Amino acid sequence: MSRKVLVVDDEAHIVQVLSLKLRNSGYEVFTASDGEEGLEQAIAIAPDIVITDFQMPYMTGLELCQALAKNSLTKTIPVLLLTARGYALDDDDLAIGNIKDVLSKPFSPRAIVQQVKELLGGQAQSSATGEHGVSSSLEAT
Amino acid sequence: MKAGKFASLILLVTFTVMSLLVMFMISWIHPRGSGDTETASIIMTLLVPIAMFSFVFAAILLPLGVIIDRALLDLKQYIEAAGQGVQSEGSATNVPGGDRKPVAFLKPITWAFIGAVDQFQQREQNLRNQLRDLEIRHRVSEAERRQVEAVLHALHDPVIVTDPFNEIVMANNAAADLFCFELTESIHRPIDRVIPDERICRFVNDTREAANFSESRHIEHELSSPCIEEDGTEGRRITVYDVTLACVENHKHEVGGVVTILHDLTREREVAQMKTDFVSKASHELRTPLSSIRAYVEMLVDGEASDEDSRNEFYRIIQNETERLGRLIDNMLNISRIEAGIVQIERENVDMKPLISRVVQSLEPHAREKGISLHTKVAGIDLTVEGDADMLYQVLVNLASNSVKYTPEGGRITISADSDNLTRSVLVSVADTGLGIPPDALGKVFDKFYRVENYKRVAKGTGLGLSLCKHIVETVHYGQIGVESKLGMGSKFWFSVPMRYAGSQAAA
Repeated sequence: MSRKVLVVDDEAHIVQVLSLKLRNSGYEVFTASDGEEGLEQAIAIAPDIVITDFQMPYMTGLELCQALAKNSLTKTIPVLLLTARGYALDDDDLAIGNIKDVLSKPFSPRAIVQQVKELLGGQAQSSATGEHGVSSSLEAT
Repeated sequence: MKAGKFASLILLVTFTVMSLLVMFMISWIHPRGSGDTETASIIMTLLVPIAMFSFVFAAILLPLGVIIDRALLDLKQYIEAAGQGVQSEGSATNVPGGDRKPVAFLKPITWAFIGAVDQFQQREQNLRNQLRDLEIRHRVSEAERRQVEAVLHALHDPVIVTDPFNEIVMANNAAADLFCFELTESIHRPIDRVIPDERICRFVNDTREAANFSESRHIEHELSSPCIEEDGTEGRRITVYDVTLACVENHKHEVGGVVTILHDLTREREVAQMKTDFVSKASHELRTPLSSIRAYVEMLVDGEASDEDSRNEFYRIIQNETERLGRLIDNMLNISRIEAGIVQIERENVDMKPLISRVVQSLEPHAREKGISLHTKVAGIDLTVEGDADMLYQVLVNLASNSVKYTPEGGRITISADSDNLTRSVLVSVADTGLGIPPDALGKVFDKFYRVENYKRVAKGTGLGLSLCKHIVETVHYGQIGVESKLGMGSKFWFSVPMRYAGSQAAA
């Protein structure tokens, strides 16, 4: 069974490119275009990891992290935060929720997949069998 | 003065009269022929020398009196001349009468006197010079004091100067306004009785005690002042000040006082915040298309696109995002140039009618795609303004293309132009039957990088288009720009630009 990744960004192109890269690496990808939708999705599908943009309408990436941390179903989900802001985020902000890393835009999809792989224990599949190795073979090319 | 001469004359006359009187008395007592001629001759013998002596004495005294008189007259003239000389600031040796040589025996006295007068005059001259110096210095220091006062009062920052006893010696209007005291009544009063802020009084005292002349102290201090809140109620506003305290050194190298300057940091903080916000927003807007470009290029490099169609799709996205980035940079630079006043403006007579036709022509295909009908309502009068044709075209294109973006299919867009005789300007408006703008966003749509949250997904934009329009209309063309909108009903963006001057009509 594939590991589930939730990608949340209001920029459709970013969602599209990350989804494709992650799918090609063997992950099951779910998408949302703002924080509120992201939270609903996270509760509904319980993803293994959430990749979210910082600046989004309705609910920012940080607010999404806070909301995820408050919900017992989602509080353990690791989060990767993407940001296009001109300066670093406060440490206080980053202490909120389960933020594992902050990646600054423009980012490399390759590096994101690598990071997801590291956070999820190097496997795109939850079981040892199956499509393990797809991402590593892609990385090698 | 005739005293000497008069005395000699009196003496001579007295002796003569007395001699004659004695002779007459003798002759009366012993008349001739009485026989006592011997006694008479004795008396005569006695009287004649006396009379002679008297004559001689008088003859000596008379010229002596004259001489003394002359000497005294000389002396008098000297004194008078010296007196006049004092008044006319001359020297005794140069005074009128000073050329006449004094009588020999009075010479030492006269010269001593002249010398003394000279000395007195010299001393008096010195004192006069000192007085003049002091007067000049006083005038200079008075002028300097006035200059300092003028500088102090011209300053927006409150300034208070205190003496070694913490009493106010000088303060400016800004200080009086900030701490609500009367300037004239505050002088020579202890600072803690005038300034109702304990910490500032303590800072002043600490600075005076520290007596550090080499560097001033800077302390950030918050002051709370009454203000009227937005809802009309009375509240208190906290203002942050940078308090500068400097010791004044007196001539004995001791603390002569303390200068306290309060600098309001509100504006600087606001500007710093605006700068940070701008950098943050600009960074976000620039990084977003750049992220897409980088990610899609990497996908192509990594061979992630499975087929030709996907590859073409990636190329198209990269192209669009590159164009978006280019537009964004152009807009940012144009706004910066206008703000900095370095924009090249080609001022000419611009007829708005052909400009509107061009805009309609360029937007027609896109509008038709969305099933939107484009209409124009242009008044049949002269609609020529003085301005930059390219910039005005850009404003109109931005407004009209926004309408096309935010108007759903089947909508209607009307571009109108008419003259406003009251303000002598041409009024152009773009009205649509689009989504409309929420009331809380109406005031912000012309701000840099502002985009209505809900509409970000409706259409792409840089968030700078309307800001650029505002700059072009207001800063470059001295016109006005505005918007009226009803949510769900549509929006009407308008701008007015002053008509060409009557004088420039002939040149057209």
